Amino acid sequence: MMLMVQDLRVTFLLDGKTGLRAVDGVSFDLAPGTSLGIVGETGAGKTTIARALLGLHPSGCVQGSIRLDGRELVGLSEEAWRAIRWRRIALVPQSVGTALDPVYRVGDQIAEPLRYHLGLSPAEAWGRSLELARRVGLEPRHLRAYPHQLSGGEKQRALLAMALSCAPDVLVLDEPTSGQDMLSRARLLDLLDALRREGGMGLLVISHDLAAVARLTERVAVLYAGQLVEVGPTAEVFQDPRHPYTWGLLHAYSDMSAARDLRGIRGAPPDPANPPPGCRFHPRCTQAIDRCRREEPPLRDIGGRWIACHLGGLQTLLRAEGLRKTFSVDGGEPEERVEAVREATLDIREGEVVALVGETGSGKTTLGQMLVGLLPPDGGRVVLEGRELTAARGKERRAMMSRIQLIPQDPFDAVSPRLTVAEMVREPLDIQGIGTPEEREAKVRQALRTVGLPASPDFLARRAHELSGGQLQRVVLARALVLEPKLIVADEPVSMLDPSEQARVINLLKEIQTERGLALLLISHDLALVRKIADRILVMHRGQIVEEGPGNRIVTRPEHEHTRMLLEAAPRLG
Amino acid sequence: MGVGRRAFVYLLTFWVILTLNFLLPRLLPGDPLAALLDPSSSDYVYDPEVRAALAAYYGLDRPLPEQYGRYLLGALTGDLGRSIRLNRPVAELVVGRLPWTLLLVGTALLFSSALALLTGTESAWRRGSWADRGLVSASILLANVPVYFVGMMLLLLFGARLRWLPLAGGRTPFARYPSALAAALDIGRHLILPALTLTLAMLGAKFLLVRNATVNILGEDFMLVARAKGLPEGRLKWGHALRNALLPFVAHLAAHAGMAVTGAVFIETLFSYPGMGRLIFESVTARDYPVIQGAFLVVSAVVLTANFLADLISLRLDPRLREGGAVG
Amino acid sequence: MRRLGGEVWFGLILLALCSAVAVLAPVLAPYDPRAFSGQPLERPSRAHPLGTNDVGQDILSELIYGARVSLTVALAAGAGTVLLGLLVGGMAGYAGGWLDQALMRLVDGMLSLPRLPLLILFATFLGSGLPQTIAVISFLFWPTTARVVRAQVQSVRQRGYVRMARQFGASHLYVFLRHILPAIGPLIAYGLVTSAGQAVAMEAGLAFLGLGDPLVQSWGLMMRFALNLPGLFLTDRWLWWLLPPALCITLLILALALIGIGLERNLNPRLARRWR
Repeated sequence: MMLMVQDLRVTFLLDGKTGLRAVDGVSFDLAPGTSLGIVGETGAGKTTIARALLGLHPSGCVQGSIRLDGRELVGLSEEAWRAIRWRRIALVPQSVGTALDPVYRVGDQIAEPLRYHLGLSPAEAWGRSLELARRVGLEPRHLRAYPHQLSGGEKQRALLAMALSCAPDVLVLDEPTSGQDMLSRARLLDLLDALRREGGMGLLVISHDLAAVARLTERVAVLYAGQLVEVGPTAEVFQDPRHPYTWGLLHAYSDMSAARDLRGIRGAPPDPANPPPGCRFHPRCTQAIDRCRREEPPLRDIGGRWIACHLGGLQTLLRAEGLRKTFSVDGGEPEERVEAVREATLDIREGEVVALVGETGSGKTTLGQMLVGLLPPDGGRVVLEGRELTAARGKERRAMMSRIQLIPQDPFDAVSPRLTVAEMVREPLDIQGIGTPEEREAKVRQALRTVGLPASPDFLARRAHELSGGQLQRVVLARALVLEPKLIVADEPVSMLDPSEQARVINLLKEIQTERGLALLLISHDLALVRKIADRILVMHRGQIVEEGPGNRIVTRPEHEHTRMLLEAAPRLG
Repeated sequence: MGVGRRAFVYLLTFWVILTLNFLLPRLLPGDPLAALLDPSSSDYVYDPEVRAALAAYYGLDRPLPEQYGRYLLGALTGDLGRSIRLNRPVAELVVGRLPWTLLLVGTALLFSSALALLTGTESAWRRGSWADRGLVSASILLANVPVYFVGMMLLLLFGARLRWLPLAGGRTPFARYPSALAAALDIGRHLILPALTLTLAMLGAKFLLVRNATVNILGEDFMLVARAKGLPEGRLKWGHALRNALLPFVAHLAAHAGMAVTGAVFIETLFSYPGMGRLIFESVTARDYPVIQGAFLVVSAVVLTANFLADLISLRLDPRLREGGAVG
Repeated sequence: MRRLGGEVWFGLILLALCSAVAVLAPVLAPYDPRAFSGQPLERPSRAHPLGTNDVGQDILSELIYGARVSLTVALAAGAGTVLLGLLVGGMAGYAGGWLDQALMRLVDGMLSLPRLPLLILFATFLGSGLPQTIAVISFLFWPTTARVVRAQVQSVRQRGYVRMARQFGASHLYVFLRHILPAIGPLIAYGLVTSAGQAVAMEAGLAFLGLGDPLVQSWGLMMRFALNLPGLFLTDRWLWWLLPPALCITLLILALALIGIGLERNLNPRLARRWR
């Protein structure tokens, strides 16, 4: 084992007293010839880690252990660090534009460490710089130039040549692709990838550029607010993120293959001087429980993946196993039964948007009604947050059903024409017997505001026929929200609305889903619509789920014939 | 800006100065030059020889453009008029005085710059330390106390109280030196107090400039990279930090040359040092207009030349100011 | 304004003290400073705490009335400098283009000149009255302020909100009053204090060189007369004649400088420590 970092903590003093812990208990290791990525948002502590590895923080700020071939580096004197820096561990800094001294020639700056560390003569050092320059694709004229005469990409290469000059054992790349245009970024990645393949060096890539990390590293560690939340093989972590933060980070990353709109993680990263107690991610996490607010989760091995989460990572919110439903046609013979749903199995994770797509009569509405408990299945079971909904009775069942809410297709059918808006929205609270009348009033007003409707006495007193379709659908949505559900099942929620209303309601649904951390099952026949917001798409055909996968994969590379047909039928302009 | 354009700007400035020097006395009500030749004025010059020389030099009876032409021609050929007080050509007076001022200002500039660069860099390197804070406070004090105050204190302490050093003059009056070394030693002894005063007067501002510039530079990314490269402290401090701090320092040398001249005027007056400043002071007291004007022109020319030299050094030091864009 | 440092308080207290002395001069001074209230060159005594000068005027009274002169110069020349600097710098920064280029070349030229000799030249020909001195100091010191003001105006003018305001149809006057003036407000205070300090030093320096207003008993003139006495340093006479005015000037300049440093710290540091 070459580089071993254990329980690394970096604390900066603000105004001399208050400590700011930028990195809090980070551990990782890096073997020769391997590569590790550290990803996270700005301010997560990535650069702080890079600088700690070169001993660049003021002494006393860094605690924990950094071992290089067994030798402890934390606490070394400046003199001892000097021998480690660049010879053993070198850095390609983040700020390419300002990282070179403006008054010296680029070549002299590449040669500088050679002269001081390896004791080469000026001529020898210059000769070696030429070799290094060639290796990174620079020409001799670039070495004779001053930094301001080079482009960003050339400076980045010069810095890389500089970092390689003493053939370090560990190379730290701090945001290697930031500030580069797409073409120079691509060339740089090719160069770095080639370097990696040459082997020998341990490569640490620190970046928020997930694609770069995916390209350059074998393993990846996800950093959030100074702590690692997930560590594992890069391909696996990016394919199947387990920690809710990793999941959110990946969904916030724009890449060419995503058909869906970008989705943010709700809230904002914590103030590093004042991190929340317990799990640092809990204020933004959709599945946080009480324990998350109190206890800090340790990073532990869960099935080959290291995850810091009390719940062991992303939870399955709802799981349906082998659901069946058969209807008999009215007055018909027993043989003329319609198998509406056949052996449907699916799960929905916390905070996820899943689309259930299929043509009319494919059984998707029936499946939806079974999932929310409106329709008892003929076989199979529905498990909500670990408890079986299909087996629950009485009070327990009522409580569970309040966790899932249905938005039906036809809002006019979903509300009583005799009730006022206030009464409609309040109805679930009355039924569940939640709160005092005043509290219920307040919740109703809040829910109406959330869906963008006025909470004026005049509007509260209106009845269904006085509202437009869009308004009524929002009222239904508000009614679903008053119970603070974890999952909303929306069955063709916009198909009765005109196109501009459709867009607005879908956007609203998406916004509420992100802000409240709800999971959403969107049932629709319209692939063009759902692919904009769905993380995952299930395709249903004749009562069966025939295909399932990430939204972009289903849209770009459909596997099932029926999916292809649906795609071809999707509306196109021009 | 290229060298050529800079030189042009300075030449233009000097021309403005020349013109100002010409117009100022002539455009004023109660023409002070005419008064010199007017028997009813209190400024009337009684020596007929001097009066004739002045009348010839100023040529006040001629039209203004012709006066201007003759004046410019005179200034360029070194004819700066004649001193009323001493009845000698101004150019001759200036030639006798200028070396003393150059010696004084040069010595002070050299010492204050060297000291400021060394202590400023060191202070920035240990920013926030006890020594740094002390030096910064002392420099703020030094940079703002008027130069004549510093001079008086030194004069009192070393000259009047301790009697270690001569109180006045550039050399011992009427001394005959047995050797060049003895002459140099005598001149050196007389130089110490004025040069020390001027050094101190400039040190405060220069120190603050170097120190603050270096503190900024130490925060630059390239300094972090230089440290990450494992370079020895000396190389970081002098090779990178000081080398970059030289740029703003030299850019300010021009301003410091002006400051040095201001200081020299007061110091030479205070220490009766036989330089240009003392000459100006004496001429002011005697209303010796030709000398004041001539001395002003020469001092301006010297300071503008110093400015230009500083610009040339800046150009050498900072590759970004040089011609030529991207390589690629 | 954020927290004030200790040295700023020191400066403010000194300045307040000096102002109080200047305002209350008739009450505080034991004699009319022009009156020949004693024998020439008296040593300090109960009647004359700082002795008398070479013509028998009370030195303490001279010193007290001298505060009025220095503060007048500070205020008037400071205001004059800032006004000119604001005008030129504001114009150059706001107009841009050739006007900016021309004005900045003028500023560069003026900044590269030796100020004191220029000041002496002006004082020689314009006469050495206090109003002339103030005018000449203002005229020579505005370029520093102009340069800083221009930089700030230029940066504000580039901001989106100013360009948006123009887009909404705002007049130049509106933009100047609503957006630009507030942005350079702190600079004005800073420029006022620093130029006031320089003006005090220069006025005293001119008087020291014999170019002061002979009718106004300023601290600089007191020093001049003291230094004119042959053999001043051979006795301890300098102790009550030369030192007090020199100290007063130094303290006043220092007070203004300290306040300036405090203001500078509150300004945008990028602007405050600016160089080419």
